[in-house]
Amino acid sequence: MEIVDTSLTDTARRIRRVFVESLGLNLSEADLDYERKLDEYAGLDSLAILEFITALEKEFGITIEPELLRLDFVSDLQELAAYVELRTADLSSSPPQ
Amino acid sequence: MPESDLSSPSRTEPEAARRAPALPLCTVNDLFWLLYLYPLRMLFAVLPRACFEWLGKFAEPFVQWHERRRRERGIGTILTAYPAMTRNQAAQIARECVTNNMFHVLDDLLLLQPPGGKMLHCTSIQGGEHLERAVSDGKGAILLTAHFCANRIALRHLAARGYPVLCVHNRRPSNRAQGELGRRILQPRHIELQRRANPDVVYVQDAECSLKILQRLRSGGLVNIQFDGVPGFRTIEWPFLGRQWRFPAGFFDIARLSGAAVLPVLCLGRSTGFRIIFSPRLEVLQSPSPDEFVDRNMPAFTQVLSQQIADHPGEWRLWTHL
Repeated sequence: MEIVDTSLTDTARRIRRVFVESLGLNLSEADLDYERKLDEYAGLDSLAILEFITALEKEFGITIEPELLRLDFVSDLQELAAYVELRTADLSSSPPQ
Repeated sequence: MPESDLSSPSRTEPEAARRAPALPLCTVNDLFWLLYLYPLRMLFAVLPRACFEWLGKFAEPFVQWHERRRRERGIGTILTAYPAMTRNQAAQIARECVTNNMFHVLDDLLLLQPPGGKMLHCTSIQGGEHLERAVSDGKGAILLTAHFCANRIALRHLAARGYPVLCVHNRRPSNRAQGELGRRILQPRHIELQRRANPDVVYVQDAECSLKILQRLRSGGLVNIQFDGVPGFRTIEWPFLGRQWRFPAGFFDIARLSGAAVLPVLCLGRSTGFRIIFSPRLEVLQSPSPDEFVDRNMPAFTQVLSQQIADHPGEWRLWTHL
């Protein structure tokens, strides 16, 4: 039975899923300690984070601003999820070109 | 080795993961670096630029003698790359390589001086329009370079002209000639001094390395990765200069994921007179698969470097370092 962390928003859960899939982690999303795993990957090979960021942007159809491409921002799941929600809301509220 | 093996790339494990052999406490190489990093550097901080040339000319015979074994190995490497070349021609290139490497190291001292940037004499920048075009679409550009002696002074000059370049380096480059003194004290000190001469640097060992690169590219900036080095944890083997060469896999990941332009650059000469040559940006063939991306683009990338080295073999630093 999968345990769902109810403290997380849907966006945060989607981010976790993208993280697991983009890095090909052999664990379920529910077992993921996001921050620890991200720091671990960054320490081993920072390019893995790049893989994750681009997958995340593709998933949500956004582009993260250059100044936010920092490990402390990316590794804070709540902050990242809030940012993604804000950006996707912006996208949906802006009139089509 | 069968031809089919040569044409197929293989992905290898990190070099850093291999066990390092025990080192002697101090080597002759360490003593050279000790001399260079302390008395020589301090002396040259107060001496005029002409002294750099004078010292280089004075020291050259001794350096050539000291580097004779490396030079001999370099001749073998050159002949492997260019089998049609005579031994005399290869020996001449190896000699030039040692001389240029020595001046490259002296130029680093020049860069450390406060007005260092102003003391560089750039004779020409060719293909500047290629640079302008490459950065015009806002995704930044990756400067594709090989280990040429003039790289550092050229990039410093570009920064002074309003084109800062983020350089990707290895904080622990391998040096078979160094002992414990070199590894523990002198090399970190040397890396620190290089960073002081060019603070716009990121090390592959940094956890934020790739994020800083992406940050720079997304700001429409320039990033330099010396493609013929192994500045990373994952490498890709590919035939190059008559041997299997390990190229940094990260270069391809960054090019694939950032969508930045890949712009070949060639820097020739030394601080007393150098030139920078930009070539047209390479057409990067996209592919969602990392392996396929490498297969599709590696031939063009290595072709550019092979041509640069074949045209200016004496200025390529690595002949005597292999």
